[in-house]
Amino acid sequence: MEALSDDGHTEPGQSARELELYFGPQHLGMVGNFSITLKVEGDRIMEAAANPGYLHRGFEKLMELRTWIQNFPMVCRINVVEPDSMEMIYSMAVEKLAGIEVPERAHYIRSIYLEMARVGSHLFGLWAYANMLGFDTVAQWAMYHRDLMLDLFEELTGGRVYHIYIWPGGVRRDFPEGFTDKLVTTLHTIGGCVPDYDAAFFENRLFYERAKGIGTVTRQEAKEMGATGQVLRATGMEYDIRKVEPYAAYDRVPWAVPTREDGDAYSRIWVVRDEMIESVHMIFKLLDAMPQGEVYHRIPNPFKWEIAPGEAYVRCESSRGELGLYLVSNGQEKPYRVHFRTPSYPHGLTVLEKALQNASIADVGNIMISLYVVAPEIDR
Amino acid sequence: MNTALRKKLQSMFDDLKMTTSEGAEAIIAVPKEALLAVLSFLKSQGYEHLGLVSCVDWIEQEAFELVYILSAYLQEDHEHGDRERGNIIVKTRIPRKSPQFITVIPVFQNAEPYERELHELFGIHFEGHPRLTPLFLERDYHIPPFRKDFDTREYVKEVFDSIPPVEKPKD
Repeated sequence: MEALSDDGHTEPGQSARELELYFGPQHLGMVGNFSITLKVEGDRIMEAAANPGYLHRGFEKLMELRTWIQNFPMVCRINVVEPDSMEMIYSMAVEKLAGIEVPERAHYIRSIYLEMARVGSHLFGLWAYANMLGFDTVAQWAMYHRDLMLDLFEELTGGRVYHIYIWPGGVRRDFPEGFTDKLVTTLHTIGGCVPDYDAAFFENRLFYERAKGIGTVTRQEAKEMGATGQVLRATGMEYDIRKVEPYAAYDRVPWAVPTREDGDAYSRIWVVRDEMIESVHMIFKLLDAMPQGEVYHRIPNPFKWEIAPGEAYVRCESSRGELGLYLVSNGQEKPYRVHFRTPSYPHGLTVLEKALQNASIADVGNIMISLYVVAPEIDR
Repeated sequence: MNTALRKKLQSMFDDLKMTTSEGAEAIIAVPKEALLAVLSFLKSQGYEHLGLVSCVDWIEQEAFELVYILSAYLQEDHEHGDRERGNIIVKTRIPRKSPQFITVIPVFQNAEPYERELHELFGIHFEGHPRLTPLFLERDYHIPPFRKDFDTREYVKEVFDSIPPVEKPKD
């Protein structure tokens, strides 16, 4: 073992002082089933290796054994926090392969539904982040407001967490009577609390000190590492699949892509905040512009539904970034190959390892949650 | 992908098979020797975002098909006067009997975890990859589990049926 330097501090490169530290999956600062192996010197992280796999259920393989429609319950379980964009992407891919058209009203309903899911998911993310940093009051508010969103989902679809509402050919049913009013009231309730959230959390000096300059990723690095979503938008890049490749009804109403410049944890969480507010405004605009009409085009008998051979890659913007699906059919009633490109995959494996270098141990959870990683998405 | 870029690509590389599905999207099948060159050319033309590296096991044709999906961060292509740039699916086939290929990390750094995953789930060896260690799985498999000849149901029966119960039932 090498000796301590005179003043007792560690020098970089002293291998004998390096220590291997396991962070998660049981660590209190870790949200979700995920772990990181850290090589530390004192309080400083020299190297980090992400260690996923605690939630690997092999969904992509299991989906090859089930019919196109039977796969829905599995698709939505890939992202526990926001299953709705998963339903959307799978429906989009099936529609593209089978050439199914969607009625105009269903496009609007899908967009409204996905934005509701985004608000719910961001509130859940806010809960995780506030909870991790010790802002327990804010965390409780966020959880309560998320619950109000879940009540809406329950009324609309019958399920609170997993909905299976989007379906190839449209959505399963129209908005029930009085639903629009309830939606507007709930969004006003949540929107009315934004000043409270700002005062207690986003503009709080304690939060600023804790998150500013932490886990910084430059724009060039973010692009090279395949980052999307908040991680990329926090570096000043206006990249959003809803704008780049508009799907559903996102090109029917005007809306803005919120960005920040600094690329650190503070910027990322501010992008999330602005996005939530933008989503609420978007829902109001979509509700105003929504046409009447049918919401569903019939699909063939699902038990005997064979889709012509082909391949499709579709993308949508989930609450965490670019979500893609590569779907291959060989003309049977089951998919031949399914591969999801989930946003947390590059964020949790490549970006996290880079952002943790030279960080302090106390900031590991901080950085990880600010990257908005959700573990089941990585493992699938 | 627009026609100018398509022509440029065809003049630079032989044996490219291009299919354009709807819109700006394109599917390009390239011979395996040319893959790295095609990817770095497309990257230099603005397709800087490698979205996904995937693999399809075409067991009847005895081939693994590696799939690289590229897209552009900037939608406007000033050089070719294009306003919309869709995804490009670049595919190449390698023989199933000797699943060996080269890594694309020198061109796209973020291919690292994807190739690691394919190594684990399909048993493809990527030459030049810095760490082909297991990513998700912890058990040993005779056949990599995402190959088509791996029978999930049989495996479950074999592994989990043989675990003895915690407590033997009393007579």
